[in-house]
Amino acid sequence: MKIKAILSVLAISFAGAAFTAPASANELPDRQTELPAVKKQADTDYLKPRSLDTLPDNEFGDMVKLGYSLFVDSQQMRGEFVGNEQNCVNCHMQAGQKANAAPLWAAYSSYPAYRKKNDKVNSYAERIQGCFNYSMNGKPPAYDSPEIKALSAYSYWLMMSGLMDRHGMEGQPVPEVDPVNLQAGAKGADFPFPEAIAAVFPVEERSKLKGRGYPKLAQPEQTPSIARGQKVYSEYCAACHSDDGQGMKGADGRSYIPPLWGPMAYNWGAGMHRINTAAYFIYENMPLGKSVKLTKQQAWDVAAYINKHERPQDPRFEGDLEANRARYHNHQGYYGKEIEGTLLGSESYPNRTVDNP
Amino acid sequence: MLKRLPVLALGALLASPLAFAQDMPPSAAVCAGCHGQEGLGQPNVAPMLAGLNADYMSEQIDLFLSGKRKDPVMSSMAALVSDPATRKQVSEYFAALPAPRVAEPEQRGDRVSFDTPAEKLVYQGDWERNIPACATCHGASGVGVGDFPRLAGQQEYYLKKQLTDWKQGKRSGDPLNMMSHIAVQLSDDEIKGLAGYFSTVAAGDK
Repeated sequence: MKIKAILSVLAISFAGAAFTAPASANELPDRQTELPAVKKQADTDYLKPRSLDTLPDNEFGDMVKLGYSLFVDSQQMRGEFVGNEQNCVNCHMQAGQKANAAPLWAAYSSYPAYRKKNDKVNSYAERIQGCFNYSMNGKPPAYDSPEIKALSAYSYWLMMSGLMDRHGMEGQPVPEVDPVNLQAGAKGADFPFPEAIAAVFPVEERSKLKGRGYPKLAQPEQTPSIARGQKVYSEYCAACHSDDGQGMKGADGRSYIPPLWGPMAYNWGAGMHRINTAAYFIYENMPLGKSVKLTKQQAWDVAAYINKHERPQDPRFEGDLEANRARYHNHQGYYGKEIEGTLLGSESYPNRTVDNP
Repeated sequence: MLKRLPVLALGALLASPLAFAQDMPPSAAVCAGCHGQEGLGQPNVAPMLAGLNADYMSEQIDLFLSGKRKDPVMSSMAALVSDPATRKQVSEYFAALPAPRVAEPEQRGDRVSFDTPAEKLVYQGDWERNIPACATCHGASGVGVGDFPRLAGQQEYYLKKQLTDWKQGKRSGDPLNMMSHIAVQLSDDEIKGLAGYFSTVAAGDK
């Protein structure tokens, strides 16, 4: 069955199921807090998920396949949940499997996670919903929607297949997990791990899988410079992302190389608008395929240049730019600051899921 | 003549825009000798130009002129179309010609299992070697995106030769060395498989 057909089947099969969604809040929770970043270690013993062609041909396998498909080709959800020209895979290389490119397997075992900021335990499903609000400038699918379940199932399968292979359970099928646990994430004390894994993978180790997030860089020798970053951009980024930062579209109208700023980029609430997060990502993963290796300083500079442009508004904005900046933007970024005569955030593009005609 | 009109109209609907090639500019005659008036190329002689991005073709002429691309025929032929106006005219002429159609262009993420290792490279890449999926830049089924050239329906011999030339350092000049960097990591079998896949993926009518 072609993956696109699976969604409708799953939608029907889950329609009757009732799950308790977390209480809705009046304001958008802060689910885009900074990714934990640790210095890259020399050792490269990263978790290695199984190949997707080992997935079983059953409902669970189909759910994982759908998660993969939505993750790689997120434009399938354009207009409904996705409001820009981004695909999850743009920032999570190798379909969310690559170490040091914010792999899903490492994120999945780090939730549920307590966040001091909103004094709340956030589940994995809620974290993914946050991506839709911010990185995808859209509107998240419901907590118990087929999309959120499929993305959670895909992440779980990557983690569990990797752990099973690491701990002597090669060839054994990945156990299915009930939806409530699936959405919660694998950090809970009672998450159903096979015994052999639970014994060696205690709760306190689960958020520390090597390769999680993007590896941290030391603060640069020189303060990141937009002017130097512009030169780096022209030389190494513009060939694919275009001089105007709008990426490249095919004749089919689809975006193949993602826009980095403007109305179709990630919004001011997304993690990537932080200069440090973007620098970590770029240094480790760009240009795609790494035919060129940027210096750390170049990564910082170009991250500054990219993130000095207007993009869609922070969805938490309630009309007072300075108040929103003070509340949510006490980090390395230009939101609410005046850069080259422009107050960033004052002319932001709308948050949306449906394109204006 | 009148009787044929409906057939032609149907053909136009099925094909890419500009299915009716405008009259070939005289300056393109020199190209058509090998690439064909329809720009489809010939096995072991010349690549397909139909449907290739015009800027990409223009850049390749520069590369032949500068010696970053070498070919016994093209290295001298490029001089015949080096004048900017001529080059623009021939590039745009061939770019507008219809290439073989891909019935259902395949996006990354559409499938999880693949019939051949080459297809897996096309849609998933091989990140152990930092090789991104070909379709990331070359588009669904390799139909091309911007100046990332169309691969779908290209002459098999040509695809194989280019990847081999990059691998052996005989072709350069691609932005950021992207393709040379990838090609040096490909095995000869992979090159053969990729050339085979892309040359046959567009089997549809023009």
